[in-house]
Amino acid sequence: MRLEIIIASFISDLKTFVRSKGTLFWTLLFPVMLILIFGAIFSGMDETEIEIQVLDLDNSQFSYQLLDVFNETGLIEVIKAEISTEDKVLSYIQDNDLKRFLVIPHGYGETLIPPVDPNASVNLTFYYDQSEQNSNQIIRNVISNVIQSMNMGFAGGSNVIGIDDVKTISGDFGFIDFFLPGMIGFTIMQTCIYGSLERNTKFRKDGILRKLLTTPITRSEWIFSKMLFQLFLSFLSAILIIIIGILIFGLNINITFLMIVIVIATSFLFTGMGMVIGRFVKDEESASMAGGAVTFPMMFLAGTFFELEMMPEFLQTFARILPLYYVNEGLRNAMIYLKTEDAIYHSLIVLIFAAVFFIGGILLTKWRED
Amino acid sequence: MDEKNVKCPQCGKIITCTGNPGEIVNVTCPSCNTLGKVTFDRVISIENAAIEVHNLRKEYGDLIAVNNISFAVRKGEVFAFLGPNGAGKTTTVEMIESIRETTNGEIKIFDKVIKTSFDEVKELIGILPQEFHSFERLTVRETLEFFSKLFKRRANIDDILTGMDLEDQKDKLYMNLSGGLKQRVGVAIALVNNPEIVFLDEPTTGLDPKARREVWEFIANLRNQGKTVFLTTHYMEEAEYLADHIAIIHKGNIIAEGTLDELINKYGQGTILHVRNCKDRNASNILKENDFDVSISGDSDLAIKIDNKERVLEILSLLRHECIEYDSIDIRRSNLEEVFLHLTGARLSEEI
Repeated sequence: MRLEIIIASFISDLKTFVRSKGTLFWTLLFPVMLILIFGAIFSGMDETEIEIQVLDLDNSQFSYQLLDVFNETGLIEVIKAEISTEDKVLSYIQDNDLKRFLVIPHGYGETLIPPVDPNASVNLTFYYDQSEQNSNQIIRNVISNVIQSMNMGFAGGSNVIGIDDVKTISGDFGFIDFFLPGMIGFTIMQTCIYGSLERNTKFRKDGILRKLLTTPITRSEWIFSKMLFQLFLSFLSAILIIIIGILIFGLNINITFLMIVIVIATSFLFTGMGMVIGRFVKDEESASMAGGAVTFPMMFLAGTFFELEMMPEFLQTFARILPLYYVNEGLRNAMIYLKTEDAIYHSLIVLIFAAVFFIGGILLTKWRED
Repeated sequence: MDEKNVKCPQCGKIITCTGNPGEIVNVTCPSCNTLGKVTFDRVISIENAAIEVHNLRKEYGDLIAVNNISFAVRKGEVFAFLGPNGAGKTTTVEMIESIRETTNGEIKIFDKVIKTSFDEVKELIGILPQEFHSFERLTVRETLEFFSKLFKRRANIDDILTGMDLEDQKDKLYMNLSGGLKQRVGVAIALVNNPEIVFLDEPTTGLDPKARREVWEFIANLRNQGKTVFLTTHYMEEAEYLADHIAIIHKGNIIAEGTLDELINKYGQGTILHVRNCKDRNASNILKENDFDVSISGDSDLAIKIDNKERVLEILSLLRHECIEYDSIDIRRSNLEEVFLHLTGARLSEEI
C-alpha cells in the first residue's frame, strides 16, 4: 500500500468536500440546525409553568413575600419541599428526580428588616439539573429579576440578596442528552451511506472507477483512502456536535474509549452498507432514493429523536434489528450515562454489524465490468 | 489460403481443408458424410506491434458482442476503430484495457499478455474512458496532480498543460469547464504517466464541430510525439483525418481493415474526375483508347477513375489536345461512408 496515493486521494476528497456547499451543509450545518431546533423545542416543552420546590428555612414574612412574587410571575409554580433541613437537599432532589430546587436560608427576613445594612448579604441557593438547560435558564432569570427588584425595594439597589448556584447530579437526563448522541450516530450514517453511494454510482457513471482500474492504484488503497476520509468526516461531525452540546446546551459529555470505538465502527458499518446498496442500484437518482429508503426509517425508528418506549411494541421489536439503534444506545451509554457494561454490549453489536456490512460491501463492489 | 487437418469426430478420418484466416469453413467428411465447421484462426502478427489481439470474443448470454476478432496496432500509429454505436468498439477497447472480462481470446500489449501481466502494462498506457467525467470540484491542475501521483512514471504537469493548451484553465474547477475543455482535460489525464499507448474511447462524442476539431489537433500531436493512439470513433471524418490505420467493426466483426487509401481503393470508387457537360460525344472513346477507366453519367457527364495524381494532368492535356469542350471539371474522392455502405449496405451515419 503506497502512502503517497492514499494521501493524494485524501487531500482530493478534502478539497472536494470543502468546495461542495451542499455536502458541507448536510454534513455539518444540518445536524447542528437539528440539534438547535430540536434541543430548543424539546428541552423545555414538558412544563409551561415551571415547578420549583422551595425549602424555606426562614419562614418569615419576607420569605413568604418572595415566594408570592415568584408565583405572581406566572412562569414559576412554587411548591413547598417536604424536608426541613438543608443537609439532605441533594438526596431529596435525587430521590424525587427534581430538576431544580431553591433554598431560602435562615436570617433572610432579618437581613431585610429596615434599616437595611447595604453591606449585609444573604444568598438564596439554586440547585439545578444541567440537562434541563432551557427551563432552568428561564427559572434562573426569573429569580434574578425578582431578587433585583427586592434589592431595589429593600436596599436601594445594593446587592444584599444574592444567589448561589449548585449543579445537581441527576440520574434522569434531559432530552438533549438523549438527542445529541443520536445525532452523532445519525450524521455518521448519512455521511457514510451517501458518501459511499456517490463513489459507487456517480464515479461509476462518470468512468472514474474504470479509469482507476487502468492505473496502478489498488482496490485496497482506494477503499482505505476513502475510509480514512470517511473517518475524518465522522470525527469532524461528532466533534462539532459535541462542541454545540457543550457550549449551547451545557452538556456534560465524556469522550471515552468506547465512544471512539463506536464512532469508528459506525463509519465502517454505514460505509459498508452504502457499498452494498450501491451494488444494486445503477444510477445516482435511484441511489439517492435507495439511500433515503434505508436512512429515513432508520432515523425515526432507531431511537434518534425519541425513546423506543414511546413507540408501539411491534415497532420497538423492529427497531432492535436496526444497526443505528445500537449505535445510538452505545454512544449514549459511552458518552452521557457512563454505563460501561451496556456500552460494551452495544459496541460489540455495532462491531459485528460493521464487520458484516463492510466485508459484504467489499466483496460485492466490483470495479471491473462483466 | 491456409491449410488445416482436422479429425472427423464420427469416424476419426483426417480431413484436409483450406480457408482464409478468420474464415469459418463448412466441411463434410468424405467417409461418413458428417457435417462440421472449421475455423481458421485469424493470426495477425506484425513487427513492432504495440497491441496484438487474437480471436477476441465477448458474449452476453446469447448475444455475441465481439466475434473472434484479431488485429494488431503498430507502434507510433493512430489506429482508428470505426463503427456505429453497438458495433462492439467500446467492448473491445475495454477488454484490451482490462476493464471488461473477455469470453475468449488473447490480448498482448508490448508482447505482454494482459490477462496475467496487466499490472506491468499499466505504467505504459494512458486511457480516456468513454463519457469520462473527472472529479467535479478539483481544479484542472489538481486533477492532473492527483492522477499523476497514482503512477511511478510521471510526465511534467506543466508540459502537459502547455501541450494541451490548458494553461489558462489550470486553476478552474473541472465542473466549470466547457465540454470541449473537459475532453481535453480527459486526454491530458491520459498523459500524466507519459504513456507509450493512449486509448481514447470516443473522445469527441457530444462535442460541437469546433471543439471536435480542437481535440483532433491534440490527438494528431500525440502521434507527432511518437505515441501510439488507439482511437474508437463513429465519426468517419475523425478516422479519415487522424488515422494511419483503420479497422471497421460491424456487429462484432471486423469487416475491413487497412489504411484509408487501401480501404477506399478496395471498397470505394477511389478518386473520380468528373467532366461536366462534355460537348464531344466521342470523348469517352478517346479517353478509353488512352487506357482511362471512363463511364458516362447522365447525357454528357464523364466519370474517370484516377489511380494516381499524374493521370489528372494527362486527362487535362488530352482534353485540350483533342479540343474537347466542357463546362467544368471536379475531382471527388470516395470516403469511408461509401466504404461502409459498400460493405454493409447501410450508411454509417444512419446507424449511429
